[in-house]
Amino acid sequence: MSALGTSPERSDADAKLRGQAVYGADLSKTGMLWAALARSPVAAGHLRAIDPVPALRIDGVLEVVTAADVPDWRTGVIVSDTPMLAADYVAYEGEPVAIVVAESRAAAEAGARSVAVDIEPVEPVSTPEQALAPGARLVHPEWNRFAVAGGADIGRNGNVVAEVVHDPGDLDEAFAAADFVVEGTYRTLRQYQAHLEPKMALATYESGRYTIEVSHQYPFRLRDRVAQILGVAPSAVRVVGHHIGGGFGAKLDVSLEAFAALLAQRYRRPVRMQHTALEERLAAPCRANAITAVRSAVRRDGTILATDVEIVSDSGAYANNGPALSSIPMFVFGSIYRVDTARIWTRNVYTNTAPTGAYRGVNGPWLVFANERHMDAIADALGRDRREFRLASLARDGDLMRNGQPLEQVSILREAFDRVDDLSGWQDAGAGELRGVGQAAAIWLTNPMPGHATVKLNEDGTATVITSATENGSGAVATGLRQIAAEALGLATDQVTVTMPDTDATGYDAGSQGSRTTHVVGRAIADASAEVRSQVLDQASQMLEAAAEDLVITDGVVSVAGVPTASVTLGQVAQSVTWTEGPIAAGASYVTPTPPHDPLCATGMLIKGWPTPTYHLHQAEVSVDAVTGHVTVDRYIVCQEVGRAIHPDAITGQIQGGVAQGLGFALSERVDLDHGRYVQRTFKQHGLPLAADVPRVEAIVMEHADPAGPFGAKGAAEPPVVPVAAAVANAVADAIGAPIDSLPIRPEDVLDALERTQ
Amino acid sequence: MRFCRVRSVAEAVDELSRWGTEGRILAGGTDVMPQYLRGEQSPAVLIDISGIDGLGGISDVGGVTSIGALVTMRRLATASLIALRHPALSQAAAAVGAWQTQTVATLGGNICTAAATADTLPALLIADAQLTLVSKSGRRRIGLEDFLAGSGATALRPTELLRAVELEPLGERSSEGYLKVARRSAMDLAVVGLALRLDVAPSGVIDGVRIAMCGGDQSAHRVSAAESALLGTRLSDDPGAFGEVGAVLADAVGSAALPEAQYRRRVLPGLFDRLARRCAGEIAGAGA
Repeated sequence: MSALGTSPERSDADAKLRGQAVYGADLSKTGMLWAALARSPVAAGHLRAIDPVPALRIDGVLEVVTAADVPDWRTGVIVSDTPMLAADYVAYEGEPVAIVVAESRAAAEAGARSVAVDIEPVEPVSTPEQALAPGARLVHPEWNRFAVAGGADIGRNGNVVAEVVHDPGDLDEAFAAADFVVEGTYRTLRQYQAHLEPKMALATYESGRYTIEVSHQYPFRLRDRVAQILGVAPSAVRVVGHHIGGGFGAKLDVSLEAFAALLAQRYRRPVRMQHTALEERLAAPCRANAITAVRSAVRRDGTILATDVEIVSDSGAYANNGPALSSIPMFVFGSIYRVDTARIWTRNVYTNTAPTGAYRGVNGPWLVFANERHMDAIADALGRDRREFRLASLARDGDLMRNGQPLEQVSILREAFDRVDDLSGWQDAGAGELRGVGQAAAIWLTNPMPGHATVKLNEDGTATVITSATENGSGAVATGLRQIAAEALGLATDQVTVTMPDTDATGYDAGSQGSRTTHVVGRAIADASAEVRSQVLDQASQMLEAAAEDLVITDGVVSVAGVPTASVTLGQVAQSVTWTEGPIAAGASYVTPTPPHDPLCATGMLIKGWPTPTYHLHQAEVSVDAVTGHVTVDRYIVCQEVGRAIHPDAITGQIQGGVAQGLGFALSERVDLDHGRYVQRTFKQHGLPLAADVPRVEAIVMEHADPAGPFGAKGAAEPPVVPVAAAVANAVADAIGAPIDSLPIRPEDVLDALERTQ
Repeated sequence: MRFCRVRSVAEAVDELSRWGTEGRILAGGTDVMPQYLRGEQSPAVLIDISGIDGLGGISDVGGVTSIGALVTMRRLATASLIALRHPALSQAAAAVGAWQTQTVATLGGNICTAAATADTLPALLIADAQLTLVSKSGRRRIGLEDFLAGSGATALRPTELLRAVELEPLGERSSEGYLKVARRSAMDLAVVGLALRLDVAPSGVIDGVRIAMCGGDQSAHRVSAAESALLGTRLSDDPGAFGEVGAVLADAVGSAALPEAQYRRRVLPGLFDRLARRCAGEIAGAGA
């Protein structure tokens, strides 16, 4: 029986529920040392001296390692701008300045607090506006000496880390022909990933090689980054992955691992590190804060002649992956809804704040917020119904995105509008005093980056998938990949095991990001399984004296079609073949090809295409308390296209979770900066939504099988977070009759807006 | 740190007199344990009173409600005697933290921790709460208003244990309630919490008003200026009077330096109006 489209139990469910699963943060080794980082207490300043003596007086502290003792080059994913330890100046509060090595965790942490760091503070560049102001102090005076991966021209200039410019040059003409112009400026704060398991590392050094045990979303990236920082070959580093207690993008790059590896080599002892709760926050690669200004030239008949978008996003003190993420506006503005032409100008800038980075749905939540608030504003200006105007403006199959990529299946979005309307009719949704409804649509990618899997038939007839795909909570590995292998091999899901990540043992894998695991690794598994299956059939055909094409495999039994008595089990096949031809195993790789696009569409663009797009429509129905300004989400509907649903329960779980994170971003979570320093320092101040703040999300899962995907599957886990803030903001604006142009929507802001309407 | 479990009030006050300022009482632990783990408190000895029998009761003593210091928030939120006689306390207890916190957090803890945002305190203040404190040298009674002395500060001496709280029940033509404004629907401190008790004469004249709030100042407190603004007005004829009282309440919000002072001022008039209408409606409904 096919396991696809059913929801079998996750392989990790029992251990996780019972508290028996070993997470990175549970690891320890005999003879292990602990280390902790001393971090800059100020956002910007000249580092004058570090006095280790107060730390060395603490019982158990062995050493205080400073910049003089570690590699002095800068590294980075895209721009090599980040020192291992700050040497001359500090660029953000929390930047590592020294490592304290100790016999215990308590001593290491006490030592890190005691290191006397002498910094002459300078006025920080606190905001993107300040960074771009004429005469602004340069966050990195030597920015021009930083190398860029592959020598790419990403438009760097002073405090501008990256600039992507798409400008067809016909905007002025379009604006001159407009009946009117609609404009808005949309501001959003950072968002903190708030995963529960802190970042950690356990490193050992033996025979010239480093082994790092960790809970990480992307072990191969980690391997390469540790090698880059230490100046060794990637093959000198082995990364072994363990259960991950939440990542949401925060565990995609290196954090503590290189420090631990360096010390393991220095002491020839295992070295363990782990963030404190405050460090988690200070060093988190939050979703970037951004300002998005949108102007559209509109004709009275509703045609959008042109959209002019100017975006400034905050990279923080280092580039991280900001330059790549700066391409994403190209896949939001003027792509989901038709515009005749668009100019999109995105700058990612340095500030003296913690570096921002990847958070589930990178950049999407604030880009879609701006795009969809703007659509509501145009509809209002035209006096058109907002849903009707969206449907009239929606892209059509064959339309090009701003990068010149054809949208082959965008009519799926039209179907989504109907499906949502069937569940909660637009005419009545959100009716009533201080109640409102809002919609937001998105087209999101499935990350295309490479994956590899080896499928081996075990001697008992079960199968093992050997891969470094990481189970980051979604179930993509714990169920999805197992179901795919089972389906391809003719096994039951519980007869398939998947290994934990190990960069020594598996082919390259680009990690748990952008919903790629099911699609990319699943495809590699399906291909490898087909090869295994063909070897099984060859062997079985000899054993059964029947032609291979007449054989079927069901529930671990190979039989001759139409002759059920003529059969052998996969276990018998495996035993037989192992001692005759040798064991059966096959490997396969997959990378999603870059979709056709216009390579000259923009300058500075690192993400050139939007592969394996999926289609999303969200509808939020809210009510507003006139006294407190509090927003209650009464109803939330998601209509999401997934290619094919391999494990429906996992998908709806991801939808529920993504919406919860989106509601936090929309309504309650705060990451404020004051002179470069984070204001909220604890979970208590942070405002994560609770179960009581999140409605039961109604999920409609649409299936349109993708020929490239394993059994038609695309990615599903990342995008449910993307349209949430936009849908909620549109609903709140509808409820109060006033625009909402910044996030999060605090009760105070709602009361302000209400006051203005009275 | 020493941990010492006591089984009786006598044992507790013995330990308290022995340790003085070095000792810290542990009941539900929802404040003490996080403070200890954050390193904000490092008492030489934790005196665990959670096993004392006789501090966990709710009873009627000659028409007065007596509540033992170890009665939990969950119990206050669900006990029928409290719902009947002290609905504001019932509502306030249900607004504390989350279900898990309510299951262990005690009334005595909420009173003695004396957080500026403690939900139960306004509800206790409008019932004219009298506290019984015991020590080795005897017992004393003190009104809750006199007991509270600023954020986290009280008149409790290091050798004293809060034993019970006595409350004046709701009268026949009376109504009361508690409303809390917080940023999330649970596990959040009150931006402001407001308790109101109204007594109405058969003529319809409001002849008793008690208003108390938390979150608005260093301590929860009664707001007498707002009480006098409402006293003597008629329930039926002028709902506008509620607006006036609300404005007085907003003015009563303490130091603007407290976080969220502006938001608190802003919501208070509407919050009071909502609470007053609810109470007035209940009285009118009961009279009909």
